[in-house]
Amino acid sequence: MNLSFFDQFSSPSLLGIPLILIAMVFPALLLPSPGNRWINNRLSTLQLWFINLITKQLMTPLDKKGHKWALILTSLMMFLLLTNLLGLLPYTFTPTTQLSMNLALAFPLWLATLLTGLRNQPSVSLGHLLPEGTPTLLIPALILIETTSLLIRPLALGVRLTANLTAGHLLIQLISTATTTLMTTMPVVSLLTLAVLLLLTILEVAVAMIQAYVFVLLLSLYLQENI
Amino acid sequence: LTRSLVPSAPAALRALPPPVAVGVLHTTRPLHTTQQSLAPLPPLPEKGGEVRHGLIPEEFFQFLYPKTGVTGPYMLGTGLLLYFLSKEIYVINHETVAAACILTVIIYGIKKFGADVAAFADKLNEEKMAAAVAMKNEAIQTLQTAIEEEKKEQWRVEGRSFLFDAKRNNIAMLLETNYRERLLMVYNEVKKRLDYQVAMQNLRRQKEQEHMIQWVEKNVVQSITPQQQKESIAKCILDLKALSKSAHAAV
Repeated sequence: MNLSFFDQFSSPSLLGIPLILIAMVFPALLLPSPGNRWINNRLSTLQLWFINLITKQLMTPLDKKGHKWALILTSLMMFLLLTNLLGLLPYTFTPTTQLSMNLALAFPLWLATLLTGLRNQPSVSLGHLLPEGTPTLLIPALILIETTSLLIRPLALGVRLTANLTAGHLLIQLISTATTTLMTTMPVVSLLTLAVLLLLTILEVAVAMIQAYVFVLLLSLYLQENI
Repeated sequence: LTRSLVPSAPAALRALPPPVAVGVLHTTRPLHTTQQSLAPLPPLPEKGGEVRHGLIPEEFFQFLYPKTGVTGPYMLGTGLLLYFLSKEIYVINHETVAAACILTVIIYGIKKFGADVAAFADKLNEEKMAAAVAMKNEAIQTLQTAIEEEKKEQWRVEGRSFLFDAKRNNIAMLLETNYRERLLMVYNEVKKRLDYQVAMQNLRRQKEQEHMIQWVEKNVVQSITPQQQKESIAKCILDLKALSKSAHAAV
């Protein structure tokens, strides 16, 4: 297999059959479904504990109306976590490196929060466009700036996730290529590069988890403003 | 399979001949809405399956042991690996290095934190169980305390007659005391009234005497005429002179 640096980002297909759906659904297969038992095995117990932790963290700042969003936010979090982490394995395809998918996740959810706010409490939502205590002269400029910042949120969400993951994966590819090429000529430098690669891998694991968390956290913050 | 489905179907359908009953029983059971049987589930095994090197089940090694001995599976693995590498079915490229790194990180993580995570999961389950067991024990304790209290009450019932006797005695004493007090009160009241009558009589007597004496004195004083008064005064003077003479003589 001769891989260029960008083959890992192309949508996978086998004999012309697109495999993107399998790539997106596969992580869910790794999670055990809760059994009929009262005391489960370790994996189920840990999964339950983890999902409880996430849900509590996300739902504590929201009032009761916001708790309707618990299911979608928690499942989004689990999905992003799993896809990001599984993408670090070799020869895997990470769906979240595709801008199309991230925008498809960010845009509708952001729009839902915005419309909820505008529908239920329009003056409060619009009031967020002007921070408290601004001098009177700056008000028009500030409103424009805040509106721009509001409208750019879905783009920011999507691009942030895409850019972080794509950059990370590319870096891993580049540095491992460097290591491989240097192994024959300058083995010691190759070992140093390998050390850098190890650290980078640890960073990428952290980034994968943090990016998933940040995505969902920002959505919950937008929800808090608007619910 | 038929036997497990039989209990859940109505009796009329079960009475049909077996070839028909099978199909009919299948249709009466709704799809995937309940478990086959809600009886106690079999317990979870204590440990997971034995695994060597974290990936390959122990059964594989046992499977190859009769034919190839202890080193068989390892030889198989090495041979496969070398075959893939030499025939370039697996090409070494940059992904290999990346794979090595991520595998190092994963294995290091599992070795370092695996036991702690397992202990944490066990602790979660233990806490859940302990809460339920504590509830059960508390209920048992409460019931036992209740039993002891009941026994004590039953023992108390035996002594009830003594209690009632003592109470009865108390009350009788109280009544007696009260009666005596009232008796004393009556006596005192009667005595007061009689004393009053006696005092009244004495007073009347005394007043009569005083009045009589005063009346007598008044009449006597009235009856003394001035002549008599002068005579008695002259007599007194003569007596006095006589006395003084005898007194002079005595001195």
